[in-house]
Amino acid sequence: MNMIEFRNVSKIYENDTAALKDINLVIKKGEFVFLVGPSGSGKSTFIKLLIKEISATSGTIFIAGRNVCNLKSSRIPQLRRNIGCIFQDYKLLSDRTVFENIAFALEVIGKPNYIIKAQVPQVLKLVGLYNRMDSYPHQLSGGEQQRVCIARAFANRPPILLADEPTGNLDPATSEGIMKLLSRINIIGTTVVMATHERSIVNAMRKRVVELEQGLIIRDQKRGVYGS
Amino acid sequence: MSLIFRPKHIFGETFLSLKRNFLMGFTAITTVAITLFIVGVFSIIVYDVQGVLNSIEGQVEIAVYLKDNISNDLKGYLENEIKGWSEVDSVTYVSKDQALEKFKTQNEGSDILKEIQGNPLPASFEIRLKDPQKVEQIALRFVDKDGKSIDGVDEVIYGKSYIRNLFSITAVTGTITLLIIIILLLATMVLIYNTIRLSIYARRKEIEVMKLVGATNWYVRTPFLFEGFFEGFMGAGIAVLLLYFLNKFLFIKGETAIAETMHIKNLAILGSNNIILIAYFGIIVIGGLIGIFSSGIALRRYLKV
Repeated sequence: MNMIEFRNVSKIYENDTAALKDINLVIKKGEFVFLVGPSGSGKSTFIKLLIKEISATSGTIFIAGRNVCNLKSSRIPQLRRNIGCIFQDYKLLSDRTVFENIAFALEVIGKPNYIIKAQVPQVLKLVGLYNRMDSYPHQLSGGEQQRVCIARAFANRPPILLADEPTGNLDPATSEGIMKLLSRINIIGTTVVMATHERSIVNAMRKRVVELEQGLIIRDQKRGVYGS
Repeated sequence: MSLIFRPKHIFGETFLSLKRNFLMGFTAITTVAITLFIVGVFSIIVYDVQGVLNSIEGQVEIAVYLKDNISNDLKGYLENEIKGWSEVDSVTYVSKDQALEKFKTQNEGSDILKEIQGNPLPASFEIRLKDPQKVEQIALRFVDKDGKSIDGVDEVIYGKSYIRNLFSITAVTGTITLLIIIILLLATMVLIYNTIRLSIYARRKEIEVMKLVGATNWYVRTPFLFEGFFEGFMGAGIAVLLLYFLNKFLFIKGETAIAETMHIKNLAILGSNNIILIAYFGIIVIGGLIGIFSSGIALRRYLKV
């Protein structure tokens, strides 16, 4: 089953810079895909298009078989509930504990309290932070904060997980831990798309690699490495 | 819908935000209160002045004083003529004797009565009009081209410029008041708009996360709309409270005086048709609407979802 499909997708920003040019790409359910390339190559645009933070200038994007380009703005929240997102800067709320940060994400999509109380500890166990539930983000290390971010993205069990430079601020040892976690999430059936420009991580994982350069796909390789 | 009306979410966020931006919220509420208080005070004053004026208008009469030597024929002719005018509501003939009698009762116990010898008072027609604004037009019919009174008529007395001034003064005051109120309402809206903008800014991180994990647009918007509503509503509440005390300790005394001396029944507070309750209710409604409206504009500009 095709989880994500780009058909002739282009994105031209208002200042006439083309971030993506005529992209055709299929990502199947349960795949783990690295999106590599230098900054400005279109990785972030790719991810923003998927969560419809921006709209494609031309072409069609299908997610789980549904065309999301003509999605009404009132349907966007529904789309985003099916896509977990993690970031380089974690985007955690500093005035809330780990538990509250994850609970918040479930609360705002209308999950009832009893489900939140059951799901949050569960997902914290998955990321290995069960005993840090009551800590505040500033009391955690970078790696731990990224785990909270992953827990929040995954709490609702979305079929797709997008990661935009998740290890950008972490040292190699910590990054390895994060990658193990993402692998585990991938193994239980989640489609993972990760944008990165860290060579060692890509090389160690031996997953599908899609390389972008100036808005074009210049390489799509199964079990690939960073540089060709 | 159940998702939108989560009291904990809406109220919790609102009060958290009011606590954070206490000064801004406080200023907005105070401005709403002052504005709506002024609206209320003006409404009561305008309503009462209108009542008094209507009553004065109703009492506007033209007194046509007749010469003592007027013949009965001419008198009868004049009376019939006046009765025939469509603008005239009623005509009463007051004879010299009746005029003296009336004068005596009006000035009972006064020394003037001792001074009067014989009957210096003229007979007159007292004319009441259907439309008091036409008083001048009617009065001029008793005057010929040269500005002299017509045959048999000694003098015509009516409110003249005084009446006209009253009408124009009320019109001008009304317009000025309306302008002041509009300006104040605009200021109120700008202040509420700004508090909402600040709360959006203060919560931008939460909003970002909310949108990211797929909170509905209304879920994100509702607390801000409620915050605006709350500020408008609170301000209106304070305005009503202030107005209530002002009425209780000041206006009601004035109205009692007006009611006793001028026998005017239709006043804002004392009147039987509950004008004051309608005013209180109207102020609350206006306050709430201004709040929602202003925050709505702020949301449109600063909360792209």
